[in-house]
Formats: sequence, structure tokens, C-alpha cells
Amino acid sequence: MPARRRHAVQDDEEEDVQRQYPQSPDDVDGDGDERMEVVGQRDETSQLIKNLVRYALACEYSRTPIRRDGIREKVLGSNGRDFKKVFAGAQKQLQATFGMQMVELPTKDRNLLTADQKRKAAKSQSQKETVSNAYVLVSTLPEAYTKPAIKAPSKVQSADGEASYIALYTMIITIITLSGGELSDPRLRRHLGRLNAAENMPGMNPNDETSPSEKTELVLQRMIRHGYLVRVTESKTTGDEDATTWHVGPRGKVEVDKDAIATFVRAVYGGSNDELEKKLQMSLKIKERKPGVPETVDEAAEEAPDGDPGPSDRRRGRRRQTEAEDEDDE
Amino acid sequence: MDDNWEPPVPAGYSDANRAFIQAFMARGTLTFREAQKLLAAIQSAVSDDGSDDTDNTDPQSITMADFENFIRTAREAVEPLDFDIRNTRDQVRGGGERVWAFINAHSDPATQLGTSRTAEEVAYIKRLLDAMFEKHNTARLEVMAVDEGQALRESRPAGGGRASNVNGNNNDDGGQEEEGGGSAAATSRGLKHSEVLSLLSSLVAEGWLDKSRDGFYSLAPRSLMELWSWLVATYNDADTEWQQIKFCEACKEIVTYGQRCNEPNCTIRLHDICEEGFWRTRGEKKCPKCSTPWEGNHFVGERAVTSRSGFQRGRGRRARRSTAADAADAAEDVEDEEE
Ligand SMILES: [Zn+2]
Ligand SMILES: [Zn+2]
Repeated sequence: MPARRRHAVQDDEEEDVQRQYPQSPDDVDGDGDERMEVVGQRDETSQLIKNLVRYALACEYSRTPIRRDGIREKVLGSNGRDFKKVFAGAQKQLQATFGMQMVELPTKDRNLLTADQKRKAAKSQSQKETVSNAYVLVSTLPEAYTKPAIKAPSKVQSADGEASYIALYTMIITIITLSGGELSDPRLRRHLGRLNAAENMPGMNPNDETSPSEKTELVLQRMIRHGYLVRVTESKTTGDEDATTWHVGPRGKVEVDKDAIATFVRAVYGGSNDELEKKLQMSLKIKERKPGVPETVDEAAEEAPDGDPGPSDRRRGRRRQTEAEDEDDE
Repeated sequence: MDDNWEPPVPAGYSDANRAFIQAFMARGTLTFREAQKLLAAIQSAVSDDGSDDTDNTDPQSITMADFENFIRTAREAVEPLDFDIRNTRDQVRGGGERVWAFINAHSDPATQLGTSRTAEEVAYIKRLLDAMFEKHNTARLEVMAVDEGQALRESRPAGGGRASNVNGNNNDDGGQEEEGGGSAAATSRGLKHSEVLSLLSSLVAEGWLDKSRDGFYSLAPRSLMELWSWLVATYNDADTEWQQIKFCEACKEIVTYGQRCNEPNCTIRLHDICEEGFWRTRGEKKCPKCSTPWEGNHFVGERAVTSRSGFQRGRGRRARRSTAADAADAAEDVEDEEE
């Protein structure tokens, strides 16, 4: 709708708008004692907050993480020292208007790093660096609002594709999580085969008759790029075939959390019963309590000066973290 | 800005409003029928007491007034953040069904698409828009759409020495240089045909482009609403009578699919969906500007091509013919207008 018409509509809201959004000093009722410079400063901060909110939403649209560096570069510019204030303000705005929050992504699993990356990390890391400095937007609305009819797009065209995409990564993440956080490639393929998705998956755009489905490999790659999955390929020094395993990516961990997994499993089993709940409790908790099978090995290795796991480690060999790197290392 | 600053929200703003905005943003556009389903689900969630019977609100019970209420509140909430909600009727489909879109208030292709696309893709989209609104939008043939072959022909920047400046301004997209070894690093490599096809498919999927049964790509209502002012500023020249983008005499919206005056130099256009109401208010079917009888058989949009007798005679021949026509049009191909 062209701008001129927008005004017509706006006019009858004018009164409300003025009352709700004191944007210029004149509009501020009741705090007439505020000095102009304070007001000016606040306006500047408001602008930065607005820009950060817009930046966060734009990142979310493309499922790219919101990075601290990106915020500094694209939002703050020369106002870098205002990071804390602007970030806090943006969180408030996101919560108030959209019911969303920026949630920090978990740091990358150390056992998913290549030896090279570990060396780098060991050198640069000031002891315990536990922050990833990357965020995603998640909804903070009560669970009742997360059902598919609201959350998942429902219109034909892309929405169907998006819905099946969500269903697929939720399912794969559930399988990986219930398998203890790691799934071998053949086992993943077997699961996909059972779902008739070994070769092809529903395309992102089922309405486009030229490509109603997509190669499974392409969809998996997209899941990796979006941070839902991590594929680790380990080239064996001995000349065996490469061993590929699948893990939950940082976005996957945040968006498909334990509650989401439990909800998904209940849906698959057509409801909940005591036995299922017990199992669910067990598997989701066990994973929590289990002292991280490979993690401990690599965690220990991390302390070594060069970060090399050493010859006795069964995981010896070059690890490559496929694709997922392109977003993380720019 | 002190610590107890609270962002202002419209009066009575609730989680139902927030859920509506989240869902609207995820979808990009909403029709009333889609909104009925969405709002019914939201209303069920509001009254969700944890019991199992949740889907208890009938979508049919959601009225246009309910929907407009949510829209009004949402606009009020997002306007300070430079977002807006606009609506228009679909020129082509659904009998002119009204479509609402969640948009950026100040938008151009780069800001709208820049975050989710590579620099090469953004540059391609700009070339595609040029193809739609310049190359394939002439007084003789006002197509304002491109077929697949024409879309593929834009995959690389126009040849020769001009290639380098098309994309010189946005090379900040790391990690896209896998096709190294090109002669000049500054030269935009364009997109491979396979990349163009998958980009087009995702633009269709996200509701930015429409793809017609005859295989033409045109701007979907979402793009027309989002890019309205950018399109007009970019392709129209205030000093000339002829405009690349013309507006419906009845509803004043952009016409990319509709009818044109039989007089080739006249700028009067009408949507098919607006025609009936428009003529009903007038005595005779004559162009309101030049009084040429309005026959309704001169078209804007893909029918400018498909209504011609030659079109049905085989796609191969058509492709060759339009190649020749393009070559003529492209002779005065306009340079990239972004600074
Ligand atoms: Zn019209
Ligand atoms: Zn006329």
C-alpha cells in the first residue's frame, strides 16, 4: 500500500500513537525537568536499540546467528562502548513487542573441532571461554502458542516446505539426542530410509512443480548451514572408510530443546502415558548425567599443550567439520 | 536511557498479539482466510487451560473486524521499529484476494534481501528487476515478467568492461569465492544457471516472485508492497510523460498484470480485477484520457506475449524469437542505477 494511503489510516490512530510513543521531547509528558542533552542521548540509544532489533530479526529471517562482531560492525559502529546498554534495551524491546529473546548459542562442542582449531583455541583462549558470542532469536511465549497452527507457516507454497523442513530437522535432532548425542551416518540413513526420505525429501517449495522434492543431501546440507546439525567426518589414518557422525548443531540445541523433543516424541507416540514419560525422562536425563563419552577424552586432550589427542586416542585422525564452518569462521 | 526504561506497547497488548506478529513475520504475507486459521489457533491458545481439547475455536468465527483489530495493534507496535503492514489485492490470482504483508518501511532490494542472500545473489536480483521493468517492459511489449530463459540470460553481469562495477560495492560476503582463479578478482562472476534456478525457486517459495503456468516470473504482491517506493523511484522518471511503472486508473496501485489503452503511447492502465467496477461507474468503455475505445485486448503482463498468435507455436521458436526481440531492446540496456 502506498505511503499516501498509509497516512489516511494513521490519522485515526494519531492520538493513540502519540500517547504510546513519546518520541520527541515535546511528547514526553510529566518529565519536563529532563535536560535536552539527556534526551538527545536517549534518542541516540533508542535509534541503536531499534537498529539492533531490526538486525536481529533480519538475521533470524535467514537463520544466520546474530554475532557480537556483526552487532558491533553493522549496528553500533563508533558507539561500541554502548554494547551492554543497547543489547539490554534490544532484549526488552524484542520481548515487549515480539515475545522473543536473543539467546546465546552454546559454544561449539570441543570434540567437534579439528586438531588445528583446537590448537588455535588453546592458544587464544583465556582459560575458560564459555561464551560463543553468537545468539539466535527464540520465542518466549507460553507453550500453548508454539503449536504448529500458529508457529509453522500454514499457507501453500513455501509454508508447506517450511513446515516439512521443521518436521524433518526436529525428527533428526530427536533421534540424535535420544541416541546419546551422536549418530553414525549409516544409522541416520537407515532412519531416513524408513521414512522414505533416503534419496529425496519434500522440497522447500512443493508448489514449484519443477522441483516438488529435493535431494536429501541438499536438505541435510541446509540443516548444517542453518546450524541444526553438525556432520563430523573423521578420516582414518589406517585407510578404512571415513567415519561420519551426526551431531546436533548450536541452533538445533537452542530451538529444539528437551521440551521440544519430548513434545515431538509424544506426538509421534500419539499422546503420553506413564511408561513413555518414564522412558523420556530417562533418555533425556541420562544424556544429561552421562559424563559425555567422547567429550571427556577430548576435554582432557584439550589441556595438552598442542591440543593433540595423542596416539592412544581412538579418535586419532583428522577431523573435519563439514560445511558448518562457513558461518562460524568469517 | 535508564535501566527501568520499558519499551512502549499499544494499550492492551498481550501474548496473543505477540504470537500474531511472530506468525505473520514467519509467513511474510497473510490472506484473510489464512488469518482466520491463525487467529483461531491463537484464540484457542489464549483459552488453553492445559487440557487436551485445545482446537476449539472455529476459524469461520473469526471476523474481518477481529483480523483488522490484530492488524491495527500489530502496526502500532512495529511502526516505531520501521516495520509496517500493508495490503493490496492480488492482480492475478484468487479473484483479486486481498493480501497483507509484513514489510520494512524503507526498503530496497539490498536491504531487504541482503542479509539472507549473498552479494552475488543480490546483484542478480537487481539485474532481474532491471530485466522485468526495463528490458521486457517497452511501449511495444509491456511484459513486466521474464520467462526462464530470459531469467537465465541475466545470470551474469552484462558483458564486456562494465562487468566490474555492477557488484563492486558489496563484496563483503565472505566465503563465496570458491570459484577462484577468475581473471580479475574485482569482477562479479555472476551466478551459475543452477544457482539462478535455485534462487528463483526460493524467491517463489518465500512469496517474493510468482511463477505462472506459462512459466513467467513476475513480482508477487509481497514484493510490490515491500519495494513499492523503491521501484517507482528507480524506474520512473518524474520529468517524462512515459513511465516505466504505471498505475491502475481505478485503484491507483501498480499494474504488472492487466490491460492497457489501445493507443500505444497512452499511459492508462487497468487491472482485470478492477475493470468491472470501473466501467460500471462510466457510461462508455473509452479511455478516460485519450478517449480511444477500450477493447480490453491489449495487455500488460505475460499476456502481452502469450496472447500473440505466435506464442502457441512451440516454445523453441518462441525462445529464439524473443531472443531477437531482447537483443533489440537490450541495445539501449540501461546501466546499473545504484551508486
Ligand atoms: Zn486496480
Ligand atoms: Zn488512452
